[in-house]
Amino acid sequence: MNRPRTIAAAVVAAFAPLALAAAAPAHAAGHDPKTPIKHFVFLLQENHTFDNYFGTRAGVDGIPPNVCMPVKPPAPKPCIRPFHIGAQGSTDLDHNLDAFDRQYDHGKMDGFVASDAQGQGKLAMGYYDRRDLPYYWRVADNYVLFDHFFSSATAGSPVNHLFSVAARGGIGPNVSDAVPANGWGNRIPTIFDRLQAAGVSWKFYVQNYDPRITYRTRAQAGPDRSSQVIWVPLLAMNRFIDNPQLASHIVDASQYYQDVANGTLPSVSFIVPAGDSEHPPGRVQSGETFVRALVTELQRSRYWPSSAFLWSYDDWGGFYDHVKPPQVDSEGYGFRVPALLVSPYARRGYVDHTTFDFTSVLKFIEQNWSVPPLASRDARATSIANAFNFSMKPRPAVLLDRTAVPPSAPKVHRAPVLAIYLASIGLMTVLVAVLLLTDRRSRRRRAAASDGQPPSRQLVSADR
Amino acid sequence: MSSAVFGTPAAIDTAPSHGAPARRGLFARAGQASLALVHRFAIQLTLTAALAGGTALRLSHIGAVGFNSDEAVYAGQAAALAGNPLYTHMFPVFRAHPLLFQSLLAPFFRHGTVDVAGRVVAVTLGMVTVLLCYLVAARLFGRRTAVIAACILALMPYHVVVSRQVLLDGPAALLATLTLLLFVRYLESRQIKWMVATGAIFGLALLAKETNVLFLGAMYATLALLPNFRRVVPAAIGATVAAVLVFSIYPLALALGGHEKTGRNYLVWQLSRQANHSFWFYEEQLPWALGPLVLVVAVGGLYLLRRRLGWRELTLVSWILVPLAALQIWPVKGYQYLLPVAPAIAILAASMLDRVPDLLRQLAPSRRSMLRVAAVVAVLLSIGIPSLNRVQAGASNTFLAGSGGLPGGRAAGQWLGAHVPKGAVLLTIGPTMANVLEYYGHRDAYALSISPNPLHRNPSYTAVPNPDLALRDVDIQYVVWDAYSAARSHHFSTRLLALARRYHGRVVHTEYAGSGSSRTAVIVIYEVRP
Repeated sequence: MNRPRTIAAAVVAAFAPLALAAAAPAHAAGHDPKTPIKHFVFLLQENHTFDNYFGTRAGVDGIPPNVCMPVKPPAPKPCIRPFHIGAQGSTDLDHNLDAFDRQYDHGKMDGFVASDAQGQGKLAMGYYDRRDLPYYWRVADNYVLFDHFFSSATAGSPVNHLFSVAARGGIGPNVSDAVPANGWGNRIPTIFDRLQAAGVSWKFYVQNYDPRITYRTRAQAGPDRSSQVIWVPLLAMNRFIDNPQLASHIVDASQYYQDVANGTLPSVSFIVPAGDSEHPPGRVQSGETFVRALVTELQRSRYWPSSAFLWSYDDWGGFYDHVKPPQVDSEGYGFRVPALLVSPYARRGYVDHTTFDFTSVLKFIEQNWSVPPLASRDARATSIANAFNFSMKPRPAVLLDRTAVPPSAPKVHRAPVLAIYLASIGLMTVLVAVLLLTDRRSRRRRAAASDGQPPSRQLVSADR
Repeated sequence: MSSAVFGTPAAIDTAPSHGAPARRGLFARAGQASLALVHRFAIQLTLTAALAGGTALRLSHIGAVGFNSDEAVYAGQAAALAGNPLYTHMFPVFRAHPLLFQSLLAPFFRHGTVDVAGRVVAVTLGMVTVLLCYLVAARLFGRRTAVIAACILALMPYHVVVSRQVLLDGPAALLATLTLLLFVRYLESRQIKWMVATGAIFGLALLAKETNVLFLGAMYATLALLPNFRRVVPAAIGATVAAVLVFSIYPLALALGGHEKTGRNYLVWQLSRQANHSFWFYEEQLPWALGPLVLVVAVGGLYLLRRRLGWRELTLVSWILVPLAALQIWPVKGYQYLLPVAPAIAILAASMLDRVPDLLRQLAPSRRSMLRVAAVVAVLLSIGIPSLNRVQAGASNTFLAGSGGLPGGRAAGQWLGAHVPKGAVLLTIGPTMANVLEYYGHRDAYALSISPNPLHRNPSYTAVPNPDLALRDVDIQYVVWDAYSAARSHHFSTRLLALARRYHGRVVHTEYAGSGSSRTAVIVIYEVRP
């Protein structure tokens, strides 16, 4: 379904900067970051809501008690209560513009079960918890979890991914929830144009990247591989395809590990997954492992003391979330999505309740590297900077395990154990000392009594 | 052997010293007393020199090489027992053995990563053993023999090497020697109190290390070969009760600590372990450790004096042969396991050194004395020089468990502690390196060679059932190869390196041993990722 866009969005698009960085030479020095964060990594996974991943977590704006989602609203019954989805997993639920409208239901937020055209709506009420996502939950224990982080658009992946790099969702009032056949055009400025112009290094890492697949060739790539064009909006922009210098910034995700290890990690890194995206029906644990590997690599590198790694989810994937998203403009926000920040400056175990969307991340980058905003959304956005505490010393890295419940070491009563062994040593020492001393004394007495001579030990063998 | 051969100890010891001439006249008495004083002074001086030299030898380069696996485990237990936060979650307090030595070490391990202090405690106990060796020998053969025995033990490579490590065998040797001292006192006096004391200290010796139970057989053999065996029974019962009472500290401590089942688990494991060395392991290793000349003197002397042997030699021979025979048959062997018999070997060798020259009656007494001194010096040099070489030896790329520290292990662990994030998990070839890296690096380490079958592994260790999956899931982030474990298991070394290659292993640190052309990599740390 095509959704009309506001005139404001069209105007912003029309007057977008045309002198794009593709033509601008990179500044040799670049802009020094304004915070201790010299390396920022942003990863966008796929298709989950905050309630779907963290709704049962204590201390967050999670699933309210007694929620029961009507199967056929407005009738309140029958209804589906949230349930632990666990290893059952989920199918790919409807998560496009129409689905959003049905679920949002003019703010009544009662269409999550009813909206799915495939009859799998009850899966929308499923949730995961620490048992299923132990690493994410442990990250939340130790770093920052955002519980009012919204996807930027009420749409699905294409528009939200575009928001994540350009702070806008389309170029006209009739943008569909898809990458246009002729791409996003060449006029939308992206954060990478800004960084390139400012001489700030950047890369876009793509899992299983195939540089041959762009908006021009996606029809031949098949439905699965063509999603690379959705997740990398730059591949639907001519300059990032045709300009070899710019195209060289889009690389396979394996290059991320090499860059981190070799000391060539750029200032700003965007990462998108492929098979490990957590997009249903894929296993969420695969995505968790992917994220863990990326974060671990950063944590054990030289970059850790000056880095931040934030990951979020491009859209809600059709899952239930109880918070009505504020409608800041005609395009969004969409429902809440999980977002976590790992950094030596991240507040420990902090839940940030501030309202954010993907453009909040762009805002942080723009402010940190002193580049101008891309559009009205990021200009108005609140930066995620408050999730950091730059007044503290950078925390040393800790590689978190996936233990759902930390093993409680068997209780050992050390004091009595120590006491009983040391007492035995003391007692036996006294026993032997007393025995040997009394023996020596009595033998001396005997010797003295026998001949009045100084005692001499009669120990030498009679055999000799 | 008949009682006629061995005599009756209690009666014999009441006899005057051999060769003691009747003292007549004040002048003669005064001269004799002066000589005795000179003799005693010389003995004390030599004993002091032996203790000082032995201590210096053991303390030389004591911290040059870090802990080996067993040392790391016992030190880790001591630290955990002391509540050291670095170790309480990494080293379980209750493992395979009672905690007597670990309790003694605990006060030194309350804070930080300690190694040299623990070894100094071990050296102290080792030198107390030398002193006890002197006391036993003095009771059996007189002070001259005793001081020779003390010198031999002080310089013996076996005792020098083992007693400068944080191992249970040093304290086990000390308490076994104290048991021998009390047992000898009982044999001399036949007073029940000495046998009860023997039992009590024997119980303590079992708390140091359970393998000391083998000396029960040695004592039984000695008593059985003595006349009037039945008269020993009441004393033996008293000793048994005392030993059981003292050893009951072990189950009592387990119960107080809340780990009643731990002891049983380890007993099952120990009884079902597979052989770790060849049948002739002790014959291959120990002659060089004890000193070939010491053994030649002891065995040769026994042969030459075969017609003059008595209960003293019987006691010593039983004390040596019974544990040796038992451990020879036992499939699990360890370099340090026979340390508790070393004092008896030293006493036996000293006795022969002292007495054999007297067989050469054609020589003048002064020449015999010179011969005796020359033989003693030769024996001491034959063991002192190898001991000196052993304590000063640089790191090598070979390692025999129990024979010293593990070259490179401490440095690798410290590197991990300084450069690898907390929470990192390591995979090693075997538990030897895993223990050392856990001790010095404070990072969890799992060993590839640990069997997933609980019947085939030490209950302290956790297996990694699917190492491939653990690496793929980022549950393990580092792989550590070491030359020592690789030499023991080519199979697991190959598997580990294959995993390192498969998971993009990147060498981040290497430890080397040796120097010049013999310098080789002994520990290699890989960073791995899926």
